Amino acid sequence: MAPPKPISKILTANRLTNGETLFYAASGTWSAFVTEAKIVTTQEGVDELTKIGADAYAANQVIDVNVIDATADGDIKPKDIREIIRATGPTVRLDLNKSMSPAGK
Amino acid sequence: MYLYDNFDQTITQQRIGEFRDQVQRRLKGELTEEQFRPLRLMNGLYLQLHAYMLRVAVPYGTLSVVQLHKLADIATKYDRGYAHFTTRQNIQYNWIKLEQMPDLLAELGSVEMHGNQTSGNCIRNVTADQFSGVAGDEIDDPRVASEVIRQWSTFHPEFAWLPRKFKIAVTGAAHDRAAIQFHDIGLQIVRNEASEVGYRVFVGGGMGRTPVIATEVRAFLPKDELLSYLEAILRVYNRYGRRDNMYKARIKILVRELGAEEFIRQVEEEWQASDRALVNLPPAEEDRVRKFFADPPYEKIAVPVAAFEDARKNDKAFARWVATNVHTHKVPGYGAVTISLKPPGGIPGDATDKQMHAVADLAEKYSFSEVRVTHVQNLVLPYVKLADLHAVWQALGKIGFADANIGLVSDIIACPGLDYCALANARSIPIAQQISERFADLDRQHDIGPLQIKISGCINACGHHHAGHIGILGVDKAGVEFYQITLGGAADENAAIGTLIGAGFSGDDILGAVEKVIDTYLELRQSGETFIDAYRRVGAAPFKEKLYGRR
Amino acid sequence: MAVVDRNGPIADSWKRLADDAPVPQGGSVIVSLARLKSDDNALFAAAKNVGVEFAGDVNLEEVLAYLPRLSLIVARLTTMRDGRPFSIGRLLRERHGYKGDLRAAGPFIPDQVLFLLRVGFTTFEVDEGFSIDALKRAVAAFTAWYQRSATPATPTVIELRHPGNK
Ligand code: SF4
Repeated sequence: MAPPKPISKILTANRLTNGETLFYAASGTWSAFVTEAKIVTTQEGVDELTKIGADAYAANQVIDVNVIDATADGDIKPKDIREIIRATGPTVRLDLNKSMSPAGK
Repeated sequence: MYLYDNFDQTITQQRIGEFRDQVQRRLKGELTEEQFRPLRLMNGLYLQLHAYMLRVAVPYGTLSVVQLHKLADIATKYDRGYAHFTTRQNIQYNWIKLEQMPDLLAELGSVEMHGNQTSGNCIRNVTADQFSGVAGDEIDDPRVASEVIRQWSTFHPEFAWLPRKFKIAVTGAAHDRAAIQFHDIGLQIVRNEASEVGYRVFVGGGMGRTPVIATEVRAFLPKDELLSYLEAILRVYNRYGRRDNMYKARIKILVRELGAEEFIRQVEEEWQASDRALVNLPPAEEDRVRKFFADPPYEKIAVPVAAFEDARKNDKAFARWVATNVHTHKVPGYGAVTISLKPPGGIPGDATDKQMHAVADLAEKYSFSEVRVTHVQNLVLPYVKLADLHAVWQALGKIGFADANIGLVSDIIACPGLDYCALANARSIPIAQQISERFADLDRQHDIGPLQIKISGCINACGHHHAGHIGILGVDKAGVEFYQITLGGAADENAAIGTLIGAGFSGDDILGAVEKVIDTYLELRQSGETFIDAYRRVGAAPFKEKLYGRR
Repeated sequence: MAVVDRNGPIADSWKRLADDAPVPQGGSVIVSLARLKSDDNALFAAAKNVGVEFAGDVNLEEVLAYLPRLSLIVARLTTMRDGRPFSIGRLLRERHGYKGDLRAAGPFIPDQVLFLLRVGFTTFEVDEGFSIDALKRAVAAFTAWYQRSATPATPTVIELRHPGNK
């Protein structure tokens, strides 16, 4: 049997009122910055994030809720190009991009 | 152009009120997202990667100066200072907030604009030839039928919940500039043997994952029967179109599954059974609509116009721009100017608020205050005096919109792709930017000649890649962006679907591959032969060999 | 489960009859189209009022013969986005002259009721969460139309623009 794939995931969504891309943060709130995301490495962690996302959706706080792959060597970063673009902004308008972290990195 | 009367204004205002109420109920949690989503889509509001996106309808691509100024103001006030003109002659904003939508729509409504039916499974904003009323080659002005269709399809109670989206395009000329054979319904205005005006009706064209060229369902439909015939088509589709699988829900699949003959039989039977007189437009109403599209007060101008001819002689760059960007006008002494939104390295179809204001000012000064949007994501000043062309060209140069590249290799259609779009597999815009930069040299572009490159970031084909002479489709290959090339597509009266020529290329290799395709054409073309003509003569083989080597 | 019309809740005495349940004496029963076809004589003889229920995939030809004797037709939207009943409503009213109660059932929302009324529906079977407040606002949302209604009460915009023209 192949060893189970290592888990490394974060929770993301968009704010209902303004569509802003958000990440569920370690502090238990939603952050605009992916580096503040709560990262989980176990199936229980994934289940917990999934539930938090579903609850926030049901409470009409966020829409388009997804648990996505992330990497954490150094700062937390989404794995796929799509999610990296979601976290930062269009690659063709760098002037409008936001940084991944509040520190402006 | 068409101006609202009190009734049109009432309907638009009531829609704004309705959506204001719906937004408030959504924000209060009285509507779930599942319930609200189709409602917001039918008001043009999507959720994309970074924010909500609003698509504003530009009916058959026609804009007044007042409207264009307002669109620019909205970009400043509610967005980030720019917007994107689309392949359906609409305009999109990328950074919209749901909570601001009611106020935004109220501002749009103040200039007879809205986002109604620009998304959702309903009859979408009707599109038409951007040179309607000014091209010399049309049998009748397609804007009349387009406006009639706009009104008939607006909040049509029977057809608000179709199996899937439904797009209608109209052309008044034999040369098709509206890609009608790639629409759910394509209407070509024709004359019959008795010289009466009517429509040649096509059904079931489309792009997407199953590209189909439309089937002619009627060689001649009398003009006055248009609306009842459209209702018959829509009713057959609404009742029998597939609702079990969204990839099979477009009318093209219904036509295919029934067979063209049976589909036509059902439509004709439905049409004959219907009370056509109740649905068809009374002639008095057509006359009323037609008056809005009367010619503007043209001057009588003797040609040739000396100032224009001199400028052309003395300024080679201007002459080149005239050759590609100025379309022959039916009225002597005038030209229809296509404003290129495709500068080298630019984002196809994007315009800033300042650029929009500047174009509006030019239209006010030189083009009877009217602007058109093309399905190739450019703008048109439809009525410019030849004597004014040089001044217009210079003014466009100041805002970066004077590129002499209409119809050439850098006049690329590109959908928003993975930079904005939630459905995308790969980025489209950077590929367009690379190509337009590589071919920035105008001598080279003019030497290559007419060539349409069209890029989509996923199989939904909003970038019309199937219809590109060179089509580029972004795909996802194990999390990496890859690009497939199709060759030989065409969107005009000789509509064709491009052929996939082989394995895809990485983001680093696609530019080189496109350049190889073009080099191959340059090597094998015969004198005066365009890319598409050469491709039709030699087929895909020489291009494949160049790209992939001999097999 | 409640029944409303455009103004709000109404009294309703219709009962659904399972396909294998015996035909009751008197009363108002809603049956499936299959039951209606197999038991029409017994149903019309015994019940006071007969109604039939179907979804958008119905073959209307099968219903036509019963139309004069039916007092209720229930057309079910299988999802909120199921548009087929909208065509069925117009066909029943405009082409086939059905005059009885035409009722929509299914997960539609108040915002859709106005269009359902326009295509000929008269009553609506809704669940508890259906907001009567929202319904009242929704049916008043539009006062002008480009298209005719299946039950013409108000002139269209086109007719209003050309009052002399009939
Ligand atoms: S083609 Fe795909 S990526 Fe491009 S805009 Fe359409 S859905 Fe988005």
